Amino acid sequence: MSPARSAEHQAVSGHAPDDPGVCARTPGSPAIHAIELSKRYGRTVALAGLSMTVARGEVFGFLGPNGAGKTTAVKLLLGLARPTGGEAMVLGAPAGDRETRRQVGYLPELFRFQSWLTAREVLVLHGRLMRLPKARRAPAADEALQVVGLSGRGDDKVGTFSKGMQQRLGLGAALLGEPSLVVLDEPTSALDPVGRHDVRVIIRELRDRGTTVFLNTHLLEEAEQVCDRVTILSKGRTVATGTLGELKTTRPSVRLRVTGLPGGWWQPLAGYGRWTTEGDWLLVADMAVGRVPELVTAIVSLGGQVEAVIPEHQSLEESFLELLGEK
Amino acid sequence: MSAIITIASLTMREAVRRRLVAAFAIISVLLVSLSGWGFYRLSHGTGLTSGESGLALPQAVVLFMFMFSFVVALSASAVASLSVSSEIDSGVLQAVVARPVRRSDVLLGKWLGLVGLLAAYTAIVSGLLVAVVYVTSGFVPPDAAAAAAFVLAEGVVLLTLVLLLSTRLSALAAGVIGVALFGMAWLAGVAGSLGTAFNIRAMHTASEISQYLLPTDGLWHGAMHALEPTSFLAQQFAGSPVAQGDPFLAVAGPSWSYLTWAGIWLVLVLMLGLVSFERREL
Repeated sequence: MSPARSAEHQAVSGHAPDDPGVCARTPGSPAIHAIELSKRYGRTVALAGLSMTVARGEVFGFLGPNGAGKTTAVKLLLGLARPTGGEAMVLGAPAGDRETRRQVGYLPELFRFQSWLTAREVLVLHGRLMRLPKARRAPAADEALQVVGLSGRGDDKVGTFSKGMQQRLGLGAALLGEPSLVVLDEPTSALDPVGRHDVRVIIRELRDRGTTVFLNTHLLEEAEQVCDRVTILSKGRTVATGTLGELKTTRPSVRLRVTGLPGGWWQPLAGYGRWTTEGDWLLVADMAVGRVPELVTAIVSLGGQVEAVIPEHQSLEESFLELLGEK
Repeated sequence: MSAIITIASLTMREAVRRRLVAAFAIISVLLVSLSGWGFYRLSHGTGLTSGESGLALPQAVVLFMFMFSFVVALSASAVASLSVSSEIDSGVLQAVVARPVRRSDVLLGKWLGLVGLLAAYTAIVSGLLVAVVYVTSGFVPPDAAAAAAFVLAEGVVLLTLVLLLSTRLSALAAGVIGVALFGMAWLAGVAGSLGTAFNIRAMHTASEISQYLLPTDGLWHGAMHALEPTSFLAQQFAGSPVAQGDPFLAVAGPSWSYLTWAGIWLVLVLMLGLVSFERREL
């Protein structure tokens, strides 16, 4: 079992599916806990048994190519669609629970606000819908406008906003009322580099405040910069879950510069991994974790002189493609 | 309850902000003013005896209200179809229903807001019409308030049906089906009048069934009856035994049992709409 898969196993098996403690509406329960969550549309399987646990206070990346089922999973978690199998708990209550939604901020992937309202009116409306006290609505709206960099545009109609500004406003609406869980579905898809940077800053601030962030994205760089853990989804299935470090070292490899090896040297060393030569260098791929010192010792014992040992770091993109079977 | 009020007021505010109310106000004032000129010519025109004026005026009022009921129905159909389906397509509703609100409250709020708009529109236009007709011709319909209530009820019936359709179909499909059903129901009513006049039982029965399936035409008959003085009806039927075939004459208003059915129909369709929206995947 690869480290990533074992991380996934730990994440899921940390709580038995039938453990009543998992489902209890307690502050200690995970922010999100899904067990074999599935969704079919006719013959099309959009989500095939998603199991994951998102701890409170972590920034969790939900990665996958287009059509992997990420948005479907988000909709199931928020009660916008009904699962055809499995179950999910959000903040200790069944997914879609109305009262729990007071504690959840959501930025949909495709959305639009009422174009005839001003940005401040949109936020006040959402404050009203989430039952913020009347006196808190206007200050909360102004606060949200400031956080997302729209404080000078509060009185402008949403219809005059660019796509990026609408996305900023959507993020502002998701942050209203200091929710315990913020679900962001492709939050930077319409943003320029400055906007993307701002969103990353906001996500880090949310983490510092102890807010759980569920970040649905196909931008690996984004996940790499802010996420504590990620799940990679492909064709409706979880292919890996773990920290970014775990995912990047699923199949470590090492580059060696060695001289003085006798003929037939590769026979006793074949078991360490997949060997290839590149000029004076030897590349050992698919190594088991932690076997590099043992390999160096074996080379030396054969009479080889090790001049350089360079561990090869796998990028998240490489891991991602590998996990999706694209490499 | 607060979510219902929030959405209802949002719906009404949208109509004002999008200048829907202003557009309707301008068109209505224009129509009523033009009709005022017509009513003046009918009552003060040369070549018409007072008896002939007495026959022409109620019929002209009915024709105006028919045109107005059509505008109300079209408006109800258009705003209802846009308020759910296109808001789902554009993603406006997804952002709303993700909040701690019941979906049924969102739909009820929209329904209430639209009914409020229709009620205000119907009351204002009907009031203006009655005032203009009285000032220009001196004619006062027997029960203008009841006629306005029937026209409003007709609009609310269509609004509720289109709102239900809009929870599942595209805005265009829901609106077109609503208007087409409204037109078919009116035609069935005309066929029923002809069936009564010429004693063709099958046509009469078909019309009655149609009035139960979609009560718009049955309610329109109530509006017509409330606008026609008894003396006018008596003169019409005395003049021609087949006057019952005239689609703009109503011998009697709808019975209480029929009105009860219309109420039940409305509640059932509204509830169906609530359930449909509740179960809709967004």
